[in-house]
Amino acid sequence: MRSRDTRTAYLLLAPSLFGVAAFLVLPILVVMWMALQRWDLIGPRTFVGLDNVVAVAQDGRFARSLLVTAVFVAIVIPAQTVLGLVAALLLNRGLRGSAVFRVVYVLPWICAPLVLGVVWRWILAPTDGALNALLGRRIEWLADPALALPSVAAVTVWTQVGYVALFFVAGLRAIPSTVLEAALLDGAGAWQTFRLVTLPLLRPTLFFVLVTGVISSFQVFDSVYALTPNGGPQGVTDVVAGRIYYEAFESRAVGQAAVMAVVLFVLLAAITLAQQRWFARRTTYDLST
Amino acid sequence: MTTPSRLRGAVSTGATYLLLVVGALLTLAPFLLSLLTAVKTPGQFAAQPVLAPPAPPTVANFAELFGERYDFVPPIVVTAQVVAVILIGQLLFSVFAAYAFARLRFPGRDALFWLYLATLMVPQAVTIIPLYSVFADLGLRNTFWALVLPQLFGSPYAIFLLREYFRTIPGDLLDAAKLDGAGTLRTLRHVVVPISRPILATLAIITVVTHWNSFLWPLVITTGRQWQVLTVATVSLQSQFNGNWTIVMAATTVAILPLLVLFLLFQRHVIRSITITGFH
Repeated sequence: MRSRDTRTAYLLLAPSLFGVAAFLVLPILVVMWMALQRWDLIGPRTFVGLDNVVAVAQDGRFARSLLVTAVFVAIVIPAQTVLGLVAALLLNRGLRGSAVFRVVYVLPWICAPLVLGVVWRWILAPTDGALNALLGRRIEWLADPALALPSVAAVTVWTQVGYVALFFVAGLRAIPSTVLEAALLDGAGAWQTFRLVTLPLLRPTLFFVLVTGVISSFQVFDSVYALTPNGGPQGVTDVVAGRIYYEAFESRAVGQAAVMAVVLFVLLAAITLAQQRWFARRTTYDLST
Repeated sequence: MTTPSRLRGAVSTGATYLLLVVGALLTLAPFLLSLLTAVKTPGQFAAQPVLAPPAPPTVANFAELFGERYDFVPPIVVTAQVVAVILIGQLLFSVFAAYAFARLRFPGRDALFWLYLATLMVPQAVTIIPLYSVFADLGLRNTFWALVLPQLFGSPYAIFLLREYFRTIPGDLLDAAKLDGAGTLRTLRHVVVPISRPILATLAIITVVTHWNSFLWPLVITTGRQWQVLTVATVSLQSQFNGNWTIVMAATTVAILPLLVLFLLFQRHVIRSITITGFH
């Protein structure tokens, strides 16, 4: 019986095991191997040892892309979290039509970030774009080195606020109304109740939103590619995923791109583990007892 | 209720609605503005203020988009085919794997499940280069298979979700099927799948949305028009005809519309699914 189960199980697992091994595990090993080679996408590969690592370390653009990405994450995460929480509080007041607003807010999130990037590229266009027409001014949203990264970050926030809000709505619903009523009976004002009761109880949701948000914004590519191709003015929007792409498929320095990919992998794994640790250490409030 | 507190209630309700409406306008404006531009003639767009209403609205841009010059039909067909094949593969193989993890005992189960979960951490920007290299070596660049193969065999994410669901199926039900002489495949088809319809519908929607919107992999693994998907076609149209915003906005409208319709039809399902799954 047991051995029949085993055979059945492995037969059922075979396709997905192949998929996981071939397209998720093997690539990690291959990319490490590629980091030690020189390749231009077409010709033969030559083993060059750590030459690529040295080249990437000496080329300031990779370090810059890490910094750009960090700034991008530092703008997007607080903005989308605060706005998402505000939207959730508004949606959670139980007013008529809340469901309709909720649907509207999620719309951008369903669409391809690439396509929304193209739409916003027109909206932010200097002479014939919608935003400047509305403002009656001529602002170079995407070409001015000081404005390009905040503009790209703003578009990302616009895309994700509704999605973040959904999680907060779910989190708010999980808070028993008795807890809030007790706070009010104790004479707490609305702000006090929010700060001392609601917010601590939302901590698990907050962590989930922050963790997934940081990990996904760290890999941003599509919308940045559509809004500001080739790293934007003076490379101010050259995010890591974009740098890897341009290095491999435009400059054809595949080995160096592989080095960057390995660094990104290690970095994201470290971030994920650190966040998990932190998350595990924090106590969450158990209301079931 | 005293009058001042009732007044305060009314004011706060009014303020809430005001903020909700402002949020909705900010969310919808880009969609409406791009549609506004998509139904203008290039001449009107160039001659009149950007925000002027289309007079009269025209479908000329859409006709042109599907005409010989831009030829936007093939990318839609390719995208639909890719999504359909991936959808079938992912649902089928994810159900297989999830059932094994949830319902069968076998050596190595926990280690394998841990491995599947760990792969959720692998970023796409990391796998794109080695996958390109492998597909190039196999001579599969710029083929239909290159677009679907990496996604065809189930996703660890879907397997994780389905496993959670399958664990809740009462054991008696599965035992009864076994007693009736049903093999594993028949049990899956006649017991497990019918019970799991809600989660399967959710996964189907997630899969369609994710792969309809997919961009980076198709961008690197295909060249030219033959296997160009909708996202790649849209951005290449934009860079090729930069400034011809009427035709570009017609293209973005076409690229977005199918998913918007799908979303509005199944919005309850999608919204619930996002919060239970936190999919990405």
